[in-house]
Amino acid sequence: MRKGTKRLTGLMMAGMMLLLSACGGGGGESATSAAGGEGGGASAEPITLTMMVSGTKAPDGQDFVIDILPKLVKEKFPNVTLETSKLPDEQYMTSIRTKLASGQGPDFFWVFPRNASLGVLDMAKAGYAADLSDLEFWDKISEGAKEDMSYEGKPYGVAGGLDYLGVYYNKALFEQAGITELPKDWPAFLEASQKLKDAGITPITLADKDPWFIQFGMYQVAANMVYPDEMDFDTKLQAGEKSLSDPKWIATIERFKELYDNGYVVKNSLGLGSAQAAQMFVDGQAAMIFDGTWDYATLTGKGASEFERGFFALPANDPGKPTYISAATAAGFALNAKSENLDTAKEVMNYMFDGESELFKAWVDSNNSISVYEGVPLNNELFKEVNDSYLKDKNSVYFPNQMWPTGVAEEMEAKFAGIIGGQGITPEQVAEAMDKKFKELWKP
Amino acid sequence: MNSTVMKKTMYFFALPALLFYCVFWIFPIFKLFQYSITDYNGYAQSFNYVGLSNYKELFSGSTLGNSIGNTLMYTLVSVVVGNLIGLGLALLLNQNIRGKGFYRSISYIPTLFSAIVVGFIWSYVYMPDSGMIASLLRMVGIPIDNLNFLGSYSSALYSIIFVEIWKNIGITMIIFLAGLQTIPNDLLEAGRIDGAGKWKLFRNVTLPLLATSVTINITLSIINGLKAFDFPFIMTNGGPGDSTNTLVYSIYKMAFTEQLFGKASALGVISFFIIIVITIIAVLTMNKKEVSA
Repeated sequence: MRKGTKRLTGLMMAGMMLLLSACGGGGGESATSAAGGEGGGASAEPITLTMMVSGTKAPDGQDFVIDILPKLVKEKFPNVTLETSKLPDEQYMTSIRTKLASGQGPDFFWVFPRNASLGVLDMAKAGYAADLSDLEFWDKISEGAKEDMSYEGKPYGVAGGLDYLGVYYNKALFEQAGITELPKDWPAFLEASQKLKDAGITPITLADKDPWFIQFGMYQVAANMVYPDEMDFDTKLQAGEKSLSDPKWIATIERFKELYDNGYVVKNSLGLGSAQAAQMFVDGQAAMIFDGTWDYATLTGKGASEFERGFFALPANDPGKPTYISAATAAGFALNAKSENLDTAKEVMNYMFDGESELFKAWVDSNNSISVYEGVPLNNELFKEVNDSYLKDKNSVYFPNQMWPTGVAEEMEAKFAGIIGGQGITPEQVAEAMDKKFKELWKP
Repeated sequence: MNSTVMKKTMYFFALPALLFYCVFWIFPIFKLFQYSITDYNGYAQSFNYVGLSNYKELFSGSTLGNSIGNTLMYTLVSVVVGNLIGLGLALLLNQNIRGKGFYRSISYIPTLFSAIVVGFIWSYVYMPDSGMIASLLRMVGIPIDNLNFLGSYSSALYSIIFVEIWKNIGITMIIFLAGLQTIPNDLLEAGRIDGAGKWKLFRNVTLPLLATSVTINITLSIINGLKAFDFPFIMTNGGPGDSTNTLVYSIYKMAFTEQLFGKASALGVISFFIIIVITIIAVLTMNKKEVSA
């Protein structure tokens, strides 16, 4: 018995040793490859670059980041191996912060514009994102997109494109309800919704169980209520001259609330997740859904009913005023400032955005956002009208949360859910809660 | 001095395990106390010490009270209802019925799934209009217009508690079942000869002898309830509003969404003490009531 125990302990010790040496071996290996990278891209020494982005993976073999990008990079730079991974948004946010904080950040990662969660400002300020001023293609990227990815005048990220918020609608149901003309202002929009409701059709489906969905409607209203005559509202807000409990924000919340009060939004929206709300729209059970250009694939997918889709910017404007579009720079690539292979990573970026390479074409094909790269045509006909109006009238506002510290939008969502759920919360209370959160979190 | 049981040198073999334990468990806990007095945001390595202001903010804000309230409700309901149902099931399955092995396995199955899977499935069961419950009720002809389990302020918390109970009932039942098997039959027989009815037998013989199982079960479900996170996270995101925000979910949200690691650490420290105090009180009270056969 004693002997048996001893032997067991011995075995365990041996196992432990093996484990430790395996760990040590792993560490050594990565150290060598890092050392190999110091020579820069010109040398033929093998280099391994890593990339981590957020999003939903496309079907097998067709995902740009997972499948296409590493292959095309290998073709151009035979000595470079690119290891890529893609995580769902929430997991990505958590995991990338931890990796960056512990010095294990990937060479390429995904950042969001301005002050959004994992925004370029935070990443640049913390010293994780590298200054990309010396990349070669900046003259081909629209000024606004470059600016939204800049910190103190220098670009730290390459925007994937431009995204619009809008209303996807079901043309067949609009016709059925006798709506002949697209609404151009708020009263007309309410009237159209009423017509749909009278015809026994659910006018709007929203996924308020996923709190962030509330932003899709709210920001479009805010674009028409808060900003048109005060584009620098958020700059003033950050300077402490304005507050989120401003009458304009209260009016915004009130206006969005009207849709719920009048019963235009699907009943029980607080119980619907985004996949379920999208399904309702695709199945023809609701005439409209508020969403962004990034959900094109989901919302044009096949459902129980066949119908033609349309897309317009929510006309939350008063009669006689123009409709402002909610448009914002999409997330994009950033490089790790602490990477050993920063130069090689930059070469890869230059190749990817050179405007003519195979890689560039593959990137354009896979990109769902509206391109901000010179000369790339609009990818989806559905967005043509909104895009034309954006280019022609230039009436657009970014998503407000890009100028807020993370947490304010979440507060807005939580409190507005109280309005939807009939908790006796007033628009004033929502605005005040947002303001309180902003003041708690804002650190200039 | 040579020990007859084990040489002193053998203690060195515990060292590696102890080391891992300290590095990955004890050290982070102390780190939490440190972070709780800083404004650390979770990724930038430069942070300032801000004294007790995180705690002050927590005590003056509404998050703490709301999430403690939700957590206590979550714990209370899941402890009481979960244990009653578990005990009932165990009593049923302890009888000599045909196919009891089969029934025992069936009631243990929910426990085997991961909380993620269970939460995901149940959010479809609860879905308004086309979910399983809604479809069943529609078939029976009951109006389902206002059926919105997860989306209504009044029902969301209880709906996720129900799932918690459903998932954990297997463990509770197994522990009670094991306890029931240890009760000597002669005690029950003696009771019967003395003329005790079914209820009296249960109340005066079975229950006191089950006290150990009761302690284990209640302690386990209290701890489980106080650290409730999975179901609010998967099924409701703490919503609607903040009606299903539990302590641990609030910590998560504060740390990873609002990037207030310092404040979240402070909330973590507070929860740590709340959980410890409640558990100690519960265990001490119940230990006094235990008897042995």
